[in-house]
Amino acid sequence: MFGKSLSFCLLSTLLIVGCQRGETERDLAATGKKSGSDKKITICLLPKIKGISYFSSCFNGARQAAEELGNVELIYDGPTDGDPKKQAEMIEQWTVDGVDAICVAPNAPDVVANAMKEARAAGVKVLTWDADGTQESRSFFVNQATAQSIGEGLVQAMVNDLGSEVVGDVVIISSDATAANQNAWIDVMKPALQKTNLTLATIKYPGENASHALADAQDVIEKYPNLKGMFGISAVTFPGAAEAVEQDGKTGQVLVTGLSTPNDMKKFVHSGTVKSVFLWNTLDLGYLTVHVAEALVSGELKEGATSFTAGRLGEKKIVADNILLGDILIFTKDNIDQYDF
Amino acid sequence: MSLWNRIRRFRGWHEATIALLLVSLLAVAGRLMPSFLRVDSQLLLSRHIWEVAILALGMTPIIITGGIDLSAGSTMGLCAVMFGLCLTASGSLTIGCLACVATGFACGALNGVLISRFRVHPLIVTLATFAGYRGIAEGISQGDSYSKFGDSFSGLARGSWIGIPRPGFLFAMLAIAGTVLLGRTPTGRFIYAIGHNQQAARYSGIAVERLKFWLYTASGLLASLATLVYVSRFDTAKADAGKGFELDVITAVVVGGTSIFGGRGSLLGTILGLLLIHETRLFVSRYWRTDELRSIVVGILLIGSVLVYRVCVRDRRA
Repeated sequence: MFGKSLSFCLLSTLLIVGCQRGETERDLAATGKKSGSDKKITICLLPKIKGISYFSSCFNGARQAAEELGNVELIYDGPTDGDPKKQAEMIEQWTVDGVDAICVAPNAPDVVANAMKEARAAGVKVLTWDADGTQESRSFFVNQATAQSIGEGLVQAMVNDLGSEVVGDVVIISSDATAANQNAWIDVMKPALQKTNLTLATIKYPGENASHALADAQDVIEKYPNLKGMFGISAVTFPGAAEAVEQDGKTGQVLVTGLSTPNDMKKFVHSGTVKSVFLWNTLDLGYLTVHVAEALVSGELKEGATSFTAGRLGEKKIVADNILLGDILIFTKDNIDQYDF
Repeated sequence: MSLWNRIRRFRGWHEATIALLLVSLLAVAGRLMPSFLRVDSQLLLSRHIWEVAILALGMTPIIITGGIDLSAGSTMGLCAVMFGLCLTASGSLTIGCLACVATGFACGALNGVLISRFRVHPLIVTLATFAGYRGIAEGISQGDSYSKFGDSFSGLARGSWIGIPRPGFLFAMLAIAGTVLLGRTPTGRFIYAIGHNQQAARYSGIAVERLKFWLYTASGLLASLATLVYVSRFDTAKADAGKGFELDVITAVVVGGTSIFGGRGSLLGTILGLLLIHETRLFVSRYWRTDELRSIVVGILLIGSVLVYRVCVRDRRA
């Protein structure tokens, strides 16, 4: 019985394969014609994590730019768990597929550096956005805000929101210990905090994981009785830290400040756990990145340029090899409802 | 015996089915996406599978004895951390590699002792060490990662000799040794015997416990070699090395026709299963360009292959 059905299956598979072989030639001719007539530029946008609102809103901006430009085929894909090794494997795969440009938001610069260097050697334009990689692995970095403005802004907001006379401990809930952005901000925040009455008690690295961030925040709330504030400096760990404060009923005693998207933070801002939320315009970040990638592929943008005009955003400054997006946004109870991303 | 009976008793059915599936997959993939079959890109992307392939060589004989090693991925994590730690402390690559291999040996041997001396079920032992090894790795490294080992070390996994990726040579050597051991030596027969009936094997004078000890130790050693390839590929040693690999490996072994209850299976089947999974994943993510689809397809493959096995066995016993 089984032998018969199995051999039937095998035979039919062989037949199907045989038929398909016959069609191959015609198919090839058809695709050949297609690729000759329209020259689309394929741009891959690789986020740190796929599926969180921060990167989804960047993607929306990127899609706008792709539609505006018309000649761009945009591929948006990334690891759903923020694993930098999967980022590296995706870059390798895209390189083999012969895409024109890859825009990477590296979770761990060292892990993806080799894959990015190989892509460049294969003729793919590689740039970083949102977070920088190692210098030789990319041509440009689309920088949303300088570390100086973010780091000092965060500390300033914490001091203002708490009142400058308040003395006590603060902690930083970062992302991965390898995340370049967060580390650059921390480097600015440390000296800035020393000029205030606040003491940096510890830094936690829960990774891009809201439940780990929640657990770490609960740990520090318990461990430091004199805790006045927490900085949640990634779009994932900030809501996690705010959630911990609310669960422990510490609203009004521990203030949380950090960077995240307005939609994720609205409820915490309205409940008073959070007073200021920092971010740049994420739509514009995605939009600018796709414009830069397109200009690199078409040859409009060359290394060493000092300014770049990006569609509706107008002219953007280039400092060294960083293309600057511009000002950061601060959301408070008064203006957060005006934003939807 | 009629020809029909001979076909039915042909022992390589599972392998043949998988090979056929693989060929038809490649044919369809090549039709939909002509660039898929290019040898250079296939060789380049084979990078994504070498570590799992090396682990599978240790896992196959273990599953043939009716055991399992869930700690393989976590062993890689601990090996990676020890490698990074010893390398940065001593500044010598050789010492780092030796530390890595020694750690793998120790992890495997601990599993082996617990399973063979204390007769605890492998599932429980390796479930415990699965959590334990990863925990120790995270504790020692405190979430830190070690990187920048230099271009020559990166070249170990990323470079190639005569067009073939370097880890491929390591894998080929190990695979040939494993195939000879399993198929051509008394030890290999004993491994199958343990899987069929452990008591009977013990009463017929096979040193069941000693053999099991060495199988788990070998699995640990192979995990340390896989770690070296892995660390070199990503130029980073971190406690999360090899996370989730144990499941990939077990999937490949089972898809390859090894019975999870022991007594049946082959390295050839495992290698074919691994290739089938790898090519399917590659095709799915290169053609549809979404990462999530990959896991779904692998799930379907696993169920499909177990069904084939069930139908086969029922037919043979009837």
